[in-house]
Amino acid sequence: MRKTFLALFTLLMAASPAFAGLNVVATLPWIGSVAKEIGKDKITVTTLVKPNQDPHMVEAKPSMILAGRKADILMYNGLDLEIGYLPLILESAKNPRIVPGKPGNFDCSRFVKVMGKHTAVDRSMGDVHPLGDPHYHFAPSNIIRVAEGMSNALADLDRANADFYRDNFKSFAAKWTEREKQWKKANLKGKKFIAYHKLFDYLAAEFGFRIVGYVESKPGIPPSAAHVEELIESMKASRPDGILTTSFYGRKESEAISAKTGVKVIVLPADVGAMKGTEDWFSFIDKILELLR
Amino acid sequence: MRRLRCLLGIAAFCSLGTAAFAQDTGERLNALENAVKSQAKTIEEQQKTIDELKEQINKQQAPQEQQAVQEPQPKGEDESLSAKVSGFFGGSVLSNPNISLVLDTFYQQSNLKSGELQNRGIPGFTTHGLDMHNGFNLREAEFFLFAPVDPYFNLYANLPIDDSGIHIEEAYAVTTSLPEGLQMKGGRFKSNFSRLDAQHPHAWDFFDIALPYRAFLGDEGLGGEDGVQLTWLPALPVYITFGGEVLQGDNDLMFGSDARSGPHAFTLFAKSSFEPTDNSTLYFGPSLLFGRTKNTNIVPDTEFTGHSALYGLEAVWKWKPSSQEGLTLQSEYLFLTQNGGLTGGDSLERRQDGFYLQGIYQLGRWRFGARYDMLELFADTFKRNGTQEDQGETPWRLTGAVELNLSEFTRIRLQYNHDRSGRDGRNNDQGILQFLFGIGAHAAHTF
Repeated sequence: MRKTFLALFTLLMAASPAFAGLNVVATLPWIGSVAKEIGKDKITVTTLVKPNQDPHMVEAKPSMILAGRKADILMYNGLDLEIGYLPLILESAKNPRIVPGKPGNFDCSRFVKVMGKHTAVDRSMGDVHPLGDPHYHFAPSNIIRVAEGMSNALADLDRANADFYRDNFKSFAAKWTEREKQWKKANLKGKKFIAYHKLFDYLAAEFGFRIVGYVESKPGIPPSAAHVEELIESMKASRPDGILTTSFYGRKESEAISAKTGVKVIVLPADVGAMKGTEDWFSFIDKILELLR
Repeated sequence: MRRLRCLLGIAAFCSLGTAAFAQDTGERLNALENAVKSQAKTIEEQQKTIDELKEQINKQQAPQEQQAVQEPQPKGEDESLSAKVSGFFGGSVLSNPNISLVLDTFYQQSNLKSGELQNRGIPGFTTHGLDMHNGFNLREAEFFLFAPVDPYFNLYANLPIDDSGIHIEEAYAVTTSLPEGLQMKGGRFKSNFSRLDAQHPHAWDFFDIALPYRAFLGDEGLGGEDGVQLTWLPALPVYITFGGEVLQGDNDLMFGSDARSGPHAFTLFAKSSFEPTDNSTLYFGPSLLFGRTKNTNIVPDTEFTGHSALYGLEAVWKWKPSSQEGLTLQSEYLFLTQNGGLTGGDSLERRQDGFYLQGIYQLGRWRFGARYDMLELFADTFKRNGTQEDQGETPWRLTGAVELNLSEFTRIRLQYNHDRSGRDGRNNDQGILQFLFGIGAHAAHTF
């Protein structure tokens, strides 16, 4: 019995990859994607949330806790987007390297110009994020700053490869500058859209279009019939260019409104990998702008 | 017609004008040409200067751009530090811990009278009745406080308030910086023995705890026990945690505060999990709870003194294809052995078991649940002085529930119990309409 157990134990230990690089745990796919651009083959990235999963409604699964246990650095979106599961992962992972205050705890939102901070907020207003709108991964101007923060954090943790990470950031920045020229050509200025959820405000600010209404009556609260009526009426007057939604929620409601108003539904990828042709963060932005055009 | 004449007039005037200035045209054209030429030259020169300047700017900008990207880092951090008046758990800074309050209130109607419910124990298991009456009930308002103590500990306190006052259900510190996947917990806490035990009543999938728990441990399970816990999560390819606890043993059904002067309840458990498919998770593990027992709640009006051990097996399968849909199947099996003596000199030997199987299907904001509980599935030994005592029919219960979660903070549940655990041939048919409201800090969604 003891022998079997020992054999099993050794087998399990042996099965764990003998990998020298840094273990990076990213909560969201875009974070994993940017981290991979900076860390390349010197890091292994484990992403906790799936591309088509609603990032607001994630449960801390044991597999996530195990990933946290092995992490050298935990990279997360911040602004309370992960409030429902990350505190639990942090505690259950029993890993002092990734707790707040340690270099292995990397809050991406620290490098971001936050929009939509609320000074007076309570939950009668729905699922509002008091620290500000957390969906900043749609804004290239923020991601370049996050990427640099990541390169510095990785360089701090893995001094031997510090130059490697910084060089990778330089090529990331060069790629970013080049793509940004393309992105700026997307002529979205003056366009008006309806959004299902308050998800695309950074995108609108970055590319100069306007979100003129939301299908949800309040963030995270499904639309009431009266609100939908009102929205349809206002859309007849304002004639927006589309209803923006994502694959994981709001399709049905948006399509119903589309049928009544003739305004087309545009399904955008919510995160990297949520659609074909969005394999990394650059192609994710490419795809969004292509769909909005 | 008038308009046409007018146009003709204008045309005539124009041609007249052109004729009048025709002589100068040659000179004027020359002058203009010269002017344009010299202007073009100036423009060309200016363009050159502009291009040169641009180049210079670009040259300067390249390092500047890098600086600009490097620069915001501390700037960005400062900015968000001042803006983010929050610890990791959200809420406000150092002066206040995170606080939440959950109100748990319900309306209950049974075919039995309130007095009958309160005296309805499970013969052969517990003399405790159901703590509720027909009509409006307030189960509790639960205060929950948590915050990091310092870089080494997090502190949690769970203080339910009910008709009998405020209680310290839980108040414990957890280590955050032990190495090698080790963690200590100390104070008063709910044991991680089996699955339902560590859950708070407002987090249960049904209004009430499963029958085996009520029969062996009480209607809130083992409850908050004073003691210490050590858990270990090794860095293996699969998720396995191991844990053990040393507890005082104050639970008045499984143990009893006077059973021994000193800690007299102990647990050992392991939990493992893997994901058979992308959308599903399996979670399972064995548990053991054992110690000394001395209380008057097993056999009416008689004190039992002896040793008890409760073996548990838990298994959960979760299928969650999206945030809008999910199915959870959960089952636990508990097996009790107990040996000792009763007041008056009789001996008591018990070997009894119980299990439940439940399923919860979630669709959008709705959850539909069904549960079947049963005691004495395989073992029904209850021997007094070596003689088996017949306690009556096999106790069982069937439950159905519908839940509406208006938001993450409001839950309305309608539940029906067909309860045959009284062993007296009578039904307890209960309808319960429960309201749960939470305010304050956001609690995590446990698996």
